[in-house]
Amino acid sequence: MNRMPVIVVGVFLTFLSSWIGLVAYPYFALGRFTPFTAEDTGDINPPPLSGLAVMGQRAYASSGCVYCHSQQVRQVGYGSDLERGWGSRPTVARDYMRQNPVFLGTMRTGPDLANIGARQPSSMWHHQHLYQPTVVSPGSIMPSYRYLYRTQKIEGQKSANAIDLLPPDAPADGYEVVPTYEAEALVAYLLSLNRNYPLPEAPEPPQ
Amino acid sequence: MIDDPHQEPHPDTFEANRESDELNVRDVHGAILREKDDPRDGYEPIPLWMVSFFMALVFWGGAYLAFNSGGFESTVFNPAQVSWAGGGGAAKAAPDPKVVGKRLFTANCVACHQATGLGVAGQFPPLVGSEWVLGEDGHGDNHLVQILLHGLQGPVKVKGTSYNGAMPAWKQLKDDQIASILTYIRSEWGNNDPPITAEQVAKIREETVAQTEPNTQTLLQAIPPVQFEEVVVPAAPAKDNTPPPAAPAPATAPGA
Amino acid sequence: MSMTFDHPVTTPELDKAERARIDESTRIPVLLFYGSAVFWLLIGTLFALLASFKMNAPHFLDQWGWLTFGRVRPAHLNAVAYGWAAPAGIGTALWLMARLCRVPLRHSRLLICAAIFWNIGILLGIFGILSGDGRSIEWLEFPNYASFMLFVAFGLIAVWAVIMFRFRQPGHVYVSQWYLLAAFLWFPWLYSTANILLNFEPIQGGAQGAVNWWYGHNALGLWFTPIGLAAAYYLIPKVLGRPIHSYYLSILGFWSLALFYSWNGMHHLIGGPFPAWLVSASVVASVMMFIPVITTAINHHMTVRGNFHALKWSPTLRFTVFGAMCYTLSSVQGIFMAIPSLNKVTHFTHYTVGHAHLGLYAFFTMIMFGSMYYILPRVVGWEWPSARLIRWHFWLSAIGIGVMVVALTIGGILQGLALLDPGVTFMASLDYTKPWLLLRSGSGILLTGAHIVFAVSFTLLILKTGKRRSGPTLFGTDQGRQPEALVP
Repeated sequence: MNRMPVIVVGVFLTFLSSWIGLVAYPYFALGRFTPFTAEDTGDINPPPLSGLAVMGQRAYASSGCVYCHSQQVRQVGYGSDLERGWGSRPTVARDYMRQNPVFLGTMRTGPDLANIGARQPSSMWHHQHLYQPTVVSPGSIMPSYRYLYRTQKIEGQKSANAIDLLPPDAPADGYEVVPTYEAEALVAYLLSLNRNYPLPEAPEPPQ
Repeated sequence: MIDDPHQEPHPDTFEANRESDELNVRDVHGAILREKDDPRDGYEPIPLWMVSFFMALVFWGGAYLAFNSGGFESTVFNPAQVSWAGGGGAAKAAPDPKVVGKRLFTANCVACHQATGLGVAGQFPPLVGSEWVLGEDGHGDNHLVQILLHGLQGPVKVKGTSYNGAMPAWKQLKDDQIASILTYIRSEWGNNDPPITAEQVAKIREETVAQTEPNTQTLLQAIPPVQFEEVVVPAAPAKDNTPPPAAPAPATAPGA
Repeated sequence: MSMTFDHPVTTPELDKAERARIDESTRIPVLLFYGSAVFWLLIGTLFALLASFKMNAPHFLDQWGWLTFGRVRPAHLNAVAYGWAAPAGIGTALWLMARLCRVPLRHSRLLICAAIFWNIGILLGIFGILSGDGRSIEWLEFPNYASFMLFVAFGLIAVWAVIMFRFRQPGHVYVSQWYLLAAFLWFPWLYSTANILLNFEPIQGGAQGAVNWWYGHNALGLWFTPIGLAAAYYLIPKVLGRPIHSYYLSILGFWSLALFYSWNGMHHLIGGPFPAWLVSASVVASVMMFIPVITTAINHHMTVRGNFHALKWSPTLRFTVFGAMCYTLSSVQGIFMAIPSLNKVTHFTHYTVGHAHLGLYAFFTMIMFGSMYYILPRVVGWEWPSARLIRWHFWLSAIGIGVMVVALTIGGILQGLALLDPGVTFMASLDYTKPWLLLRSGSGILLTGAHIVFAVSFTLLILKTGKRRSGPTLFGTDQGRQPEALVP
């Protein structure tokens, strides 16, 4: 193989085959979805994200949550995700059409979050968990995200969105812990993570 | 043998692209002097066993692809899926409310009430044998539905033990989903109470549509308890979407 | 059974003075890339230590957002992958290309510009990630302002590579040149496509995962692997003075790698939200990787066979053969990990992290060390000052990576089995990993030591410290023992 054109053409063609299969095909088959409208209820699935939740995606990316948490409920036979209650059905490609970027994840140092909005619908729980994970999750090795919160002096009465904390994590007397905009956005995004709606290509698995 | 560094190399041997001045090979490039020749290729043939093994691999690959490709459809995500009968359609037409209820319970409720229904001591009350679930001791089925719809917080007493938590509202779930969860918890872990239907949930939802605050034990105790009339829910899976026969309207005072 | 392809053309041997001139011409670009690589190796190792300690003690330095685990971990990956591994590979490739094309390196200004752009890009990218601009797309975390710099730098390098190859000396084209040319053509296509479709003009979410892992796996298989193999294919026969066992195996290995490796990407997404046939295609392609891997392993092994004693003396050979063996090991491990019944145990666990380090460190980085031990004396005009430092480097690296891979493999399997069993709580699966993560931190300290030793060695070499040596720095030469009559 001494001639440059042979090498270049071969290198080009082999690579092109994978480009067609793993880039072009996914773009056409999985990258141009429209949402599904359920005829009886009129629900649009997947539902659109609120503006705050869209900003929350950036907060999720900024803090690197994907390096410990996945967001995919695996197919039947590929894991025990369903039995763990991480979703009512496996996730399919259309579930991610509104996510940008997509945080499928490759590590489960922490549990899967594809349906965390359904499992933990309380924003206070999320704020407590982000501020100090061991408060609501003893034994966790998740670090504290208190850099997303502000400890401030209570002016008059407690702020409406101040977080409930018990000692030793509670602030000093006269102080309260309040989420920053980024924390509010992140929690709004987490609460939006709920793929338990039906889609025609995602049948409920058999019992 | 050391080349004379001052001798001009033959111009045909390589391009004259000189950026450096005099070359002092001995001083600067002693390593090169002892180098062996650049690598060259040997021409041993490819062993026969290797060729056979690789052809067997290709054959296996083709077979695997044929059997695990879900018909090469972009909507088939599980290679085993093609063998499920009648897979598609809105998943609402689930055969057995208890099965759906179990799945929804596992997805939404076990974080607090646990898969065993026993809750967590001091934090989350149990559902097993709970008078709230079974409609005993002054608790009504209507209270149970209302708890699912609007949540429950503040001090409560369950099976003689006090709890003080905050159960969130689940009104975002559909009527039939709430009904199936309640049906499940009323028939599991030794609990044995009649099922609850979507219509019964819908009625309570309509009656309490103006409620924005979560329930408290005091608030619920102000509402007279109602035991729903038992409705026969077909045990066999219904192939069509017709709902079970409508339950007779429960005799209940208007909600708070 | 033999299969002949084209008739090899006899190659005129390079005159020693020509070789010297070629080495001289590569000096500045190679030193620039190697110097950057060693710098970022130290930075990347520091981030690795931080990330590993944070998994043992989550409250360690958790007050600040810029040191949170979710930023330190991608900072580590990008610093070692794009800051150490890629420049080390490029430096090695430059020298190899020049020697094998048998012409002095031309247009070195292109390469100097590229090195500068590259380093600016890495700097901007790492700062970007730590300050919260990271994209959290694995292997593509750099914000756009940084990845653009890398792409420009790489464009310059690719242009250089094509020109270099085009104006080579006529004659036999050696296997290393195929791998290097291919790598330099594949990578810009990979990098630009992935960044455009995921970062600059993102496509809809459902398709992003496929493009992400098409890129991620191919960065390993079509960029790092070819460079590592090119180096091994050159250094092993060169140091030993023996021919590569079989030209036909080289051809088979190259084309089967080109065809199958690029389809592997979806094996990172088995069980995930992708069409079954696409995932199955990747599983098949992954298993087909037995072909290039066995081919290359036999080719290398038969070349060394009977000469393993040379590993006692030659640093180059020791690092390179270690690396080549770990190529086979990590590739075979990867093939088995791609089989769905095993994948459902290892996916999402630390097993995958161990595998990644087996590939990128035990294979690629060790071969890069071997290459640097060979190339640098020729480019600097000075021998390595201390064989003792080289010995420390080797053993700290080898033991460090061995302990790391074993710890993460065992911890990962325990974690995976626990995750598979719905009766085991999630927290229990985490508890299984904790002692192994502690062991991993210990191994990280060994690797940090190795890199510091290497950086010291490198600096002493560049500064031409110590007495001028008349022979190569082989293991054992510090004690005055006479090495066998081997090349360095």
